[in-house]
Amino acid sequence: MGTPSPTALAALQGALAAEHAAVYGYGVAGAMLTGRQQAAARAGWLAHQLARDTLEALLTRLGATPVAASAAYRLPFAVTGRTSAARLAAALEDGVTRAYLGVVAVNDASLRSFGAQAMQAAAGRAHAWGGKTEAFPGMPATQG
Amino acid sequence: MLSRRQLLAASPTTLPLFLALSACKGPAVLSAPPTVSPQTQMLLHAVTAELNLIWVYKQAGAAYSGLAATLQPLLAEHQAHLAALRSRVIEPPGKRLPATVTVRPALAATQAGVLTQLRAAEQAAVHTLMSRLGGASPSLAQLYASIAASESVHVTVLSTRIGR
Repeated sequence: MGTPSPTALAALQGALAAEHAAVYGYGVAGAMLTGRQQAAARAGWLAHQLARDTLEALLTRLGATPVAASAAYRLPFAVTGRTSAARLAAALEDGVTRAYLGVVAVNDASLRSFGAQAMQAAAGRAHAWGGKTEAFPGMPATQG
Repeated sequence: MLSRRQLLAASPTTLPLFLALSACKGPAVLSAPPTVSPQTQMLLHAVTAELNLIWVYKQAGAAYSGLAATLQPLLAEHQAHLAALRSRVIEPPGKRLPATVTVRPALAATQAGVLTQLRAAEQAAVHTLMSRLGGASPSLAQLYASIAASESVHVTVLSTRIGR
């Protein structure tokens, strides 16, 4: 990978911000879940921690300062039980998928591939939580 | 070499003589049509690949009605993929988009075999889309990546159905 463009750095920072939010959100969701669902939430939480660490290392290597996590995040809706917790997990994965779509648009083949693989992982987890398939994961509703 | 004025002044009967005398090979408008860019070529291949996948899904659905609930949503998404890919073809002007299935594999003899066949086809489609990312424009790369993500979920859906 050569010198990254400002656009590429911004896309990676966007993905990192989404990973931070997912790590936080899975903590909230996991607290409401039990059994297999809690195990799945823990797996998702760990996967996003790993992705966060990977992005932080990548940005540092590229000479950028990785964006920090917020102290707290506003949830998109109240999480009061198993159903809303699962819905939150699916929403988090949708957000992560959208963020990596930005990485796919940069002019670097290896970053594009990295972003696309992350989209597949997040779309797979979104499906596991929401039970639905999507024609265009990550894309704005008007596109595709 | 003919000047523009000489060329315009030449009558239909004298134009061939002018061209012969000037060793001119004729106006550029008579040259071969422009070639399709590699990016468009890839896009046209992607359109054909979706057509082929849709064909297999339709055959599978017709042969095994018990799979309809699983296959119908996935087929609908492939049709959406096809429409999106077709809408991105903007060159060459007037060129007909691919509309013909190019691969018609024999359908597996059992329901489980068909599911495995579809899963393999989806995996291959994801692999091909990933290989196209580097040569695509940013917006086309995003479309390929999104379709690849969708089709990778199809692999999971089919695997789950196989494991039932």
